[in-house]
Amino acid sequence: MGMIITKYGAVLMRAMGQTLLLALLGLFFACIIGMIFGLMSVIRNKPCNIIAMIFVDGIRGVPMIVLAYFIYFGIPYLLNNTFKIGVTLSALQAGTICLALNCGAYMAEIIRAGIQAVDIGQMEAARSLGLPYWKSMRRVVLPQAIRMMIPSIINQFIITLKDTSILSVIGFPELVNRAKGVVANTFMSFETWGIVAVMYLIVILALSRCAKILERRLNHDR
Amino acid sequence: MTDKTPYTMSESKDAGVYTPDGGHKSSGNVKIHVSHLQKVFGKLEVLKDISTDIYEGEVVVVIGPSGSGKSTFLRCLNRLEEITGGIVEVDGVDIVGKKTDINRVREHVGMVFQHFNLFNNLNVLDNLTLAPVELKKASKEEARSDAVRMLARVGLEDKAGAYPSQLSGGQKQRVAIARALCMHPDIMLFDEPTSALDPEMVGEVLQVMKQLAAEGMTMVIVTHEMGFAREVSDRVLFMDGGYIVEEGTPQEVILNPKEPRTKDFLDKVL
Repeated sequence: MGMIITKYGAVLMRAMGQTLLLALLGLFFACIIGMIFGLMSVIRNKPCNIIAMIFVDGIRGVPMIVLAYFIYFGIPYLLNNTFKIGVTLSALQAGTICLALNCGAYMAEIIRAGIQAVDIGQMEAARSLGLPYWKSMRRVVLPQAIRMMIPSIINQFIITLKDTSILSVIGFPELVNRAKGVVANTFMSFETWGIVAVMYLIVILALSRCAKILERRLNHDR
Repeated sequence: MTDKTPYTMSESKDAGVYTPDGGHKSSGNVKIHVSHLQKVFGKLEVLKDISTDIYEGEVVVVIGPSGSGKSTFLRCLNRLEEITGGIVEVDGVDIVGKKTDINRVREHVGMVFQHFNLFNNLNVLDNLTLAPVELKKASKEEARSDAVRMLARVGLEDKAGAYPSQLSGGQKQRVAIARALCMHPDIMLFDEPTSALDPEMVGEVLQVMKQLAAEGMTMVIVTHEMGFAREVSDRVLFMDGGYIVEEGTPQEVILNPKEPRTKDFLDKVL
């Protein structure tokens, strides 16, 4: 145990840094994607609703590991061999796209449900004053929806943070990927995976605590 | 506050009142013109054929059994419900016209809801100033002082910083009225404003409405408060089954109903 920490501690910490980098990038784009498709599924526009539905169902219906292989290997292969366009994605790029799409689909559902959970009367009252739809959405509906969404969003963040480990399969040097290397060198499975588990645990507990504080702050008027 | 929109009419507040002795004053401006209004939800025909004119300064109360289409009728007047057929004109503007910006029409038509619908994420003052500021009707400072004035009018000047969740039902509804007034509407629609209130709070809301009526506001009120209707309204519409079955002064409709359906309804509620 001590040997792993002294000899490979720095490696594992760096790998944790990569994990967090990947998670943050993924979550950032996932929020954008989720907001776009979430809004597309609540507005009164059939084509938009259908596009959002196809996106969400499509992404949710495919395991993330398949999505990762598809983005990292499948798409560049198709572009190179069929369309003769030389494209290579770095593991970070592919990983970010993969996480953003996957998490984005779930976020879209969270956002849709959150908006629909806001009493329709809030929108009607805003509209009755002459506020246009998007202004009403932005100033009245979304602030209330987001507050309701926060527990689900944090939950999704945690899931996505852990899902970065799946991207070890495309060779991204995140925590699990590096830990495999450490085990290969030391044969100390128990210690290495134990340390890795604790590292994830600490980060996620910290995230949960922050979320609780944020939630309390936002509920000041309740 | 200057108003350059074409939706405001002349200043004469007492014109066009439906007087108890019958008939509109000929000079009265029609604020809302409804002609053969029809509204269908899926297969359900809620409004079948509604025609009426609402005059400037007039207080019209709409009564009728539940499911008769009263609320739907009211919500069609500011296009919260898309109308299926017929014409609704507010200040001469066809609200479903191709060139009509419904948001501009709504600026002049305040609405008060059964369930208050105060913006839960904003405190009372921000509830009142949101629309005037967002719609550039007033600067933030102007809107604030205006809002404080409106709050004083409904007797809640001490609640400016409170959030809706901290108010009683009656207080919420008075704030909702003040919020609508902050847009300086010339028509106010009330959709069962006291139906969700505890009995002891009904009075304070009706009091504010009476005051508004006395000031000459054009009002359309869906309510079950027959006493209020009798005391304050110029005209009562009794709706049933998607039609206006009977209309007239409160003395005519509430005290001496002619139609059997009106009699039947009033027997149950009075």
